[in-house]
Amino acid sequence: MRYEPIPVQEGRAKPPAYKIMTAKEAITKFIEEDCYMGMTVSAAPASLIWEMVRQRDRIKTLDLVITSQIGMSSVLIGSGLVRKIEMGYNWGGIEGEDKVFRRAVEKGIPRPLEVEDYSNFGAAMRWLAASMNLDSIGTKSQLGSDIIKYNPRIKVINDPYTGRPVSMVPASRPDVAVIHAARADEIGNVQCLGLYGNTDTLARAAKHVIVSVEEIITSAEIRRMPNLTTIPYYYVDAIVHAPFGAHWRESTYYYHHDLPYGLDVYRQFATQEGYEAWADKYVHGTKDWDEYCQLVGYDRLNRLRLSENKYQKFGEVR
Amino acid sequence: MSNYTKDYSMPELMAVTVAREIRDGELAFIGVGMPLMAATVAKFTHAPNFNMMVEYGAVGPAPLRLQMCVNCAVNNERAYFAGSQREVMSAQQSGFVDIACISGAQIDKYGNLNSTCIGDYHHPKVRLAGSGGANDLASSASRTVIMMRQDGRNFVNQVDYLTSPGHLGGPGAREKAGLVGGGPAAVVTTMGVYRFDNETREMFLEKIHPGVDLEKLKAAVQWDLAISPNLTETELPTEEQVMVMRTLDPLAVYLGTGRQTLSGDFEAFMKMFENSYQPMVTLMRSKGMM
Repeated sequence: MRYEPIPVQEGRAKPPAYKIMTAKEAITKFIEEDCYMGMTVSAAPASLIWEMVRQRDRIKTLDLVITSQIGMSSVLIGSGLVRKIEMGYNWGGIEGEDKVFRRAVEKGIPRPLEVEDYSNFGAAMRWLAASMNLDSIGTKSQLGSDIIKYNPRIKVINDPYTGRPVSMVPASRPDVAVIHAARADEIGNVQCLGLYGNTDTLARAAKHVIVSVEEIITSAEIRRMPNLTTIPYYYVDAIVHAPFGAHWRESTYYYHHDLPYGLDVYRQFATQEGYEAWADKYVHGTKDWDEYCQLVGYDRLNRLRLSENKYQKFGEVR
Repeated sequence: MSNYTKDYSMPELMAVTVAREIRDGELAFIGVGMPLMAATVAKFTHAPNFNMMVEYGAVGPAPLRLQMCVNCAVNNERAYFAGSQREVMSAQQSGFVDIACISGAQIDKYGNLNSTCIGDYHHPKVRLAGSGGANDLASSASRTVIMMRQDGRNFVNQVDYLTSPGHLGGPGAREKAGLVGGGPAAVVTTMGVYRFDNETREMFLEKIHPGVDLEKLKAAVQWDLAISPNLTETELPTEEQVMVMRTLDPLAVYLGTGRQTLSGDFEAFMKMFENSYQPMVTLMRSKGMM
């Protein structure tokens, strides 16, 4: 015996410290070349995605993991940043066919895109597994389908207790998760208002977490309704204040989906030149999210907010 | 009881036909588009105690405006529950979802669907959206209703990629694979309504839409289609059913050319939303839902 105490084992908790930074600072700090990046669809982290596209010469290559995505992944794919996508669904929803995705998979334009298909639940369970520090988890989805046939990372096994078939999916631990949510305090307690998809598990699965929010609120306000806290501070690295930060998509209680803009974007995305023209104007042509919002027009954004609030406003019954 | 009407479009007939598959008191997993219109018709007519679940985490929304997607803010409007996708997907895997509506680009005689790719998976002629929730719904909902266009190329002997399981290879195949849901109960297309035989699990034609020629319908199916000896014509929509759809979706965003109308036209879009409030309040009040 040398009478040296056992060294302290370091935990993963992020400190309850001031975490507010700009999108540029957060993306520069956490998104590196060959980053494995996760994002969800409720809500769209547009202000963070735009910043990645602005920094594409530095970032060069990303591997994406999503469940479903509408728009945000294709903004990245069109920019030439994406090498691989692990996904349940990548298409335009109401905006229709996603030509950016099709060009990349079918023709390798602007670069070849490797696809790893799951069902939505199968994809979502991968973050759940990681959030519990499991290496895999089972679902009764995907059984009997070609999703299993063409994705060797999904293993069908017989449950060791009942012998029943179950499809095992591997945990997904993104290097960075980018998330958009309703509100947060300055130390990174994040509250989602309304439906939030897989935001909770994605944040828990990732090594680093960047969250853009509509509003920065006080910790006292967080403490007033703590059951609304979807992501506690210890998972979070950076909070970015981005009002209207999900445009052209929606943010529940804040503003409505800008469908005419989205339809127009998808019309432009029909060709790679159209994509580039849109990105040159709205992404590379603006230095930050505020300039993007000015270009779209705050009058327009406020109309979307008023329209949303006519039908629902947080804490009030309409 | 409302009267039948001949003032309807083909998408409206399909939506109403799917609505009739929904029973009062059921819980349904519903996407946007035509299934949303079907669910709305059911809720405001024959199934007031029916509720819908939405994939990104909402249950029982009662909105006064049109939903735009499965993670749309509108799904939160006056809902019973809003939260995670895990909640609704787990409930489904545990047998709480009675009925789900799905679609695909190709279908075979057992109701297996493809929404992933046309051609070889590794070198697709056309890459499509992928499963999304369709595989999950097809796997675990107690029953599914499939809605799709029927154009002569998509009722195939074998799907290029089996995204969403129907009755797989026939009797007993779903059970053997370990699937918990019952599989497809009906297929509603632009030409007719199909069901699945309890013994063989094969699709057969049950109803044909008014004005559709049976020979043309058969020619739009690659395999030798079984036809019910009791083949009837699809029931027409009622005036009330059509009124409900046109009140929620006056520009026919889902059942017509509304999307083309709205592309780039912000004023028309805002007007659609701002003008939705009063007619929807009137409709809800007339049904005692507000």
